[in-house]
Amino acid sequence: MKQNSSKNGSIVAGCDVGSLTSKAVIFDGKRILSQKIIRSKPRPEESARNVMGDALALAGLSPEQIEYCVGTGYGREKIPFVNETVSEIRCHARGAKWLLPTAETVIDIGGQDCKTMKINRDGEVERFMTNDKCASGTGRFLEVMARTLGIGIDELGSHTRLAKSPVTLAAACAVWAQADVVQYLNNGVSVEDIGAGINTAMASRVAILVNALKPEGDILMTGGVARNQGVVSTLEKLVGRKIKKTRKADPQLAGAIGAACIAFMKTQNKGAEK
Amino acid sequence: MNFFHKAASSLDVPEIIDWKKSGKKIVGYTCSYLPPELFYAAGVLPVRLRGVETDGLDIGDAYYGPFVCSYPKRILQLAGKGRYNFLDGAVITPGCDAMRRLDECWRKAGDDHPGILPGFFHFFDAPHKDEAHGFAWFVEEIRSLMEKIREYFGVEITEERLLEAIQLYNRGRRLLSDLEALRCNPAPPVSGADAFAAVLAGSVTPRDLYTRALEKWIAQLDSEKTDYRNRKRLMLVGSVNDDIELVRLMENDSGALVVAENLCFGVRAAGGLVAETGDPVEALARRYLGESICPRMFGKYSERLARLKETIQQHRVDGVVMQNIRFCDLHGAENALFERDLEKIGVPCLRIEREYGPLVETGRIKMRIGAFIERIQTR
Repeated sequence: MKQNSSKNGSIVAGCDVGSLTSKAVIFDGKRILSQKIIRSKPRPEESARNVMGDALALAGLSPEQIEYCVGTGYGREKIPFVNETVSEIRCHARGAKWLLPTAETVIDIGGQDCKTMKINRDGEVERFMTNDKCASGTGRFLEVMARTLGIGIDELGSHTRLAKSPVTLAAACAVWAQADVVQYLNNGVSVEDIGAGINTAMASRVAILVNALKPEGDILMTGGVARNQGVVSTLEKLVGRKIKKTRKADPQLAGAIGAACIAFMKTQNKGAEK
Repeated sequence: MNFFHKAASSLDVPEIIDWKKSGKKIVGYTCSYLPPELFYAAGVLPVRLRGVETDGLDIGDAYYGPFVCSYPKRILQLAGKGRYNFLDGAVITPGCDAMRRLDECWRKAGDDHPGILPGFFHFFDAPHKDEAHGFAWFVEEIRSLMEKIREYFGVEITEERLLEAIQLYNRGRRLLSDLEALRCNPAPPVSGADAFAAVLAGSVTPRDLYTRALEKWIAQLDSEKTDYRNRKRLMLVGSVNDDIELVRLMENDSGALVVAENLCFGVRAAGGLVAETGDPVEALARRYLGESICPRMFGKYSERLARLKETIQQHRVDGVVMQNIRFCDLHGAENALFERDLEKIGVPCLRIEREYGPLVETGRIKMRIGAFIERIQTR
């Protein structure tokens, strides 16, 4: 804690090893000192080491300078260097609270699942719902579809705005939807019209979970899919409410930020309980 | 404890093998609405059919199709692979529609896979209402099954033998009530996984051996030897489950303990006592059809909710995990109603969907249960 140190001197980290990407955040209780997102490796240990190594290097810190580290995500049990692991549901709730203090409802769309939760004043989860093992309604769905269209995943978001007559994807299943997409391509439908249909299909799946939770207060969307404007705007229509975004940090980092917030809280409670 | 765990987690139960070796008969059955006392009284070993230890679903899927609960499919899979060839008979009960179809699917599979259909194959119907006409029908079903047993196995089920069987099963039920009382304790002397194994073993082992083992085991349970006082207390309810690993998944390294359940194969089937006076057949009918705890029984939701609330209170439950096997309409709908009515009175609930069979979705389920326990802990 030589440099970059905050007033009370604690520097902590959050590490979120997801199915598609791994995220790390170095945090001093107020500011994010550094952050890193990488593509997950086959082994969660490796993803965790790489992403945390990069984040530390960016902050100019050594592992010993991290007072407490919380791990989360699907690979959390396998992260070698964490002090504690916490479920991604709770981490996303805490992260959302940090990103938008007025948030009461959180929608997180990750690589292989989709969660919606209601959070209380302290950022703790009051109720949550998750999709079940199925790729539609997850980041993986968009990724597969973008690949089928031959475009980058970040391009997909603008298609809802650019489309002239968006297609309808009949199937709620990612595999069948992909077959639909190929069919539309063969019929010469424009990539934008298909892309808009993909965003709508995705938003419809997510809306089921959101509406089942009966959202209240400010809704914040986190996870990589929050960057897809097409999905967000369609979801707003389907849910009938405005969905807030955050500029404070990349929404994809919410889980890692939440983990870091919990880590910081640990250093503040009853001294360092390491 | 080994006796219970061995019996609860594998098809190769030593006691079943010994029974078979001694030349005695074995009958498999599918539903907690069938009184196994009937078979015990006939000197036939009743074994509850399960789908454990399957490694594929090629046969199950071939006869059932994809949009059906995986529990009967896995039973059929085992039958198709010859794992149930040790059975002399099987009794199918329409616990739900998917279970009813096991009768047709097993018969058809028997044409294609010779030798897998037991010689005694009986459809035991159970009405969905316990009103007078349903009760009369159910009594008739029991009597006709007794007649079929007499014809096929050449054994007369006398009133005396039946009463003996009822008394023995009742002894086990009283023991299970004792076990449940211990689990209400602020410091339960037993983990949920061990308790579940102990109950489950009763559905596949000879009842006299089982009752003795249960008595001995319960007598030595001691809260001083365990450290379960400060755990969060969970209850597991929903679709059929005979997988101890699901209970373990909820308990291991989670800071939680399963202190109650309401599952087929669990204490729910142990239920109330059978009257030991009057006509034993009617007494059985009253107990087995009168148990409205399974959502297969129509018009009994409020009774079931009341019982659930009572258990939650008695066992000091902090949260209820409601699981349903994919495509299980009965429990899927019931869980949604339970969640609505329990959350209303401040009982946290978690609904999860799963497949029946060797626990393959551990990551997905563990994440949800972990988050649920965190939700309870931070309340």
